[in-house]
Amino acid sequence: MWDQVGQALRLSMTKMLSQVASLLPGILALMTALILAALIAWAIAAILRRSLTGVDFDRRVAQWGFPAMAEWSPSSSPTILVTRAVSAIIIFLGFLVGISAFDGALPSQFVIRLFAYLPDLLTAILVLVAGSIIARFLARSILIGAVNMNLQYARLLSVGVKWLVTVLAVTIAIERLGIGGGIIRLAFGILFGGIVLALALAVGLGSKELVSRSLERETSRSSSSNLKEPVGHL
Amino acid sequence: MELDAIPQPELEQIERIGGADLVVGILGDKRPGENCTAVAMTSEVLAELSKPLRAMVVCNNGTHAPAAAVAGDSQVPGIFTCSLPPPSPGESQQQSISNAYRTVFAVGGKLGVRACGVIASQSPTLTRRWIYRLVQPVLDLGFDLVAPCYTRQKMEGLLNRSVLAPLSRALYGQQLQNPMGPDFGLSGKLLQRIVAQESTRRRGAERSPLASIASTAACGGFQVCESNLGVRSQHPTDWENLSSLLAEVLGATFLEMEGRAAQWQSIRGSQTVPRLGQSEAPQPDTGSTVDIHGMLESFQLGARNLQDVWGLILPPTTLLELRRVSRLPQDQFRLPDQVWVRIVYDFALGHRLQTISRDHLLRSITPLYLGWIASYALEMQTAGPAEVDSRIERLSKAYEDNKSYLVSRWRWPDRFNP
Repeated sequence: MWDQVGQALRLSMTKMLSQVASLLPGILALMTALILAALIAWAIAAILRRSLTGVDFDRRVAQWGFPAMAEWSPSSSPTILVTRAVSAIIIFLGFLVGISAFDGALPSQFVIRLFAYLPDLLTAILVLVAGSIIARFLARSILIGAVNMNLQYARLLSVGVKWLVTVLAVTIAIERLGIGGGIIRLAFGILFGGIVLALALAVGLGSKELVSRSLERETSRSSSSNLKEPVGHL
Repeated sequence: MELDAIPQPELEQIERIGGADLVVGILGDKRPGENCTAVAMTSEVLAELSKPLRAMVVCNNGTHAPAAAVAGDSQVPGIFTCSLPPPSPGESQQQSISNAYRTVFAVGGKLGVRACGVIASQSPTLTRRWIYRLVQPVLDLGFDLVAPCYTRQKMEGLLNRSVLAPLSRALYGQQLQNPMGPDFGLSGKLLQRIVAQESTRRRGAERSPLASIASTAACGGFQVCESNLGVRSQHPTDWENLSSLLAEVLGATFLEMEGRAAQWQSIRGSQTVPRLGQSEAPQPDTGSTVDIHGMLESFQLGARNLQDVWGLILPPTTLLELRRVSRLPQDQFRLPDQVWVRIVYDFALGHRLQTISRDHLLRSITPLYLGWIASYALEMQTAGPAEVDSRIERLSKAYEDNKSYLVSRWRWPDRFNP
């Protein structure tokens, strides 16, 4: 009986070792692909960083109207943000190449599905980036405009609009990625409705102030119509 | 420069005339039912001048239909007329004046005139004397630029007093009361220079010829003088659109400043220019009061909410000072000259560097400007004309004294950040 047990163990060990041996080339290929991708990413990032610095990319980004981009990058530099993003993409591609080197249907299917998912992922990232830039731009426009109109609720309005656009962008991005389904739509509806209601209240209260001020001004103007407007600018 | 705005028959008439000595542009608004007397006034001015001259009158108010223009030829010898169409609906007053200026300069350039007089103030103030005082120094005394000098109440022309005049003085070294006019007399030589300049460096509608007249004259070594024109009536202040006015006027000024950086950085100090004509004494105050409380409220609201925006433009020391000033009670409220001057310089630098959208930058100065007006109004509540003049002189000196700050920040915006 002990002979049979020993034989069964030997057989299972041989089987396991042969399976590990069959995986080894794949693991080696994955590691090689990762190392190569890291080297390529490092080289391309260095060239890209130098080129972008050479063309004064950071300043150009601000000139093109995307000063907010600087705030996302850890070192507040769009150049570093771009080079790091490119490096990450190259390493990720190297990982995918390495994974597909494994012999078997599962890794191949995984890679195929991942590649099919990539356009949606890129679209979602693009929507998030554009949404964030638009949200910041609109928030600043509204803040400055509302302060110039002397509205006490200026900041509330500005923050409300910022969140409105951000929530919209995030929802579009999540829906594009196919996460959540109906719950996301429901949550978006509730959030969007809530923000719109809050904004409507704020605008209503702000307008009340504005209308009363302009009425006061009209009244004082008509009561002192003989007086000349004392302040001139040009 | 634009001749497209002129209707075709009048354009043909300009081609036919070939040349003229003087072009007079009357760009002010016309009230309904008011007759345009520009031709008659120009004719009287021509009669007063030493030599007989041929003149072209360009009106901005649509008073001269082409048929009337032709009739005008036969009625007043030596004077031709052409009219500009009314401004398009979405156009602001400043844009409409700038476009009209471009057309008048284009007509003057085309006709090769020796002098050009442009009056953009409202028509009630337009008199024969104004045209004469703007063109006579050019034709008879050899000046290239005649800038206007108005008689004003202490609370009039505040953007001019707080920014335009002292900034122009510090940058270009000439002490002009109104560097952006809007009424000017120009020699043919200066006009041709501006026409050539505009055609080579046009960058969209934001660039205003009004902002470049005084700087071109100062940097080009032209002979400049001022002419006393008397009281100028203005549109009442549109408080709702103050930020648009500031954005237009300061945007044009900062763009001009950016274009001439190489020249103004080497200019030190300033000089007076000859002032011609008798100045009129300002009329006594009408007794109306300025809404200082409202302005202070706007300033404080800005100080509470716009710190993030201002923080992208102003250095920390200025932000701290603004925070301190915003907490002062109304009777003690003062915005120190040095702080105000540095704010203007930092906004000019921010406009150049485009740290944030230019429109945002220019509009976010509105609460600061209202703060300056409130501070000035509180200080000048009981002041007479002499005290007002000395107050403005002190501010102008502060602009000159802080020019080294501007130059340092302009050259090394990242390294020099107090």
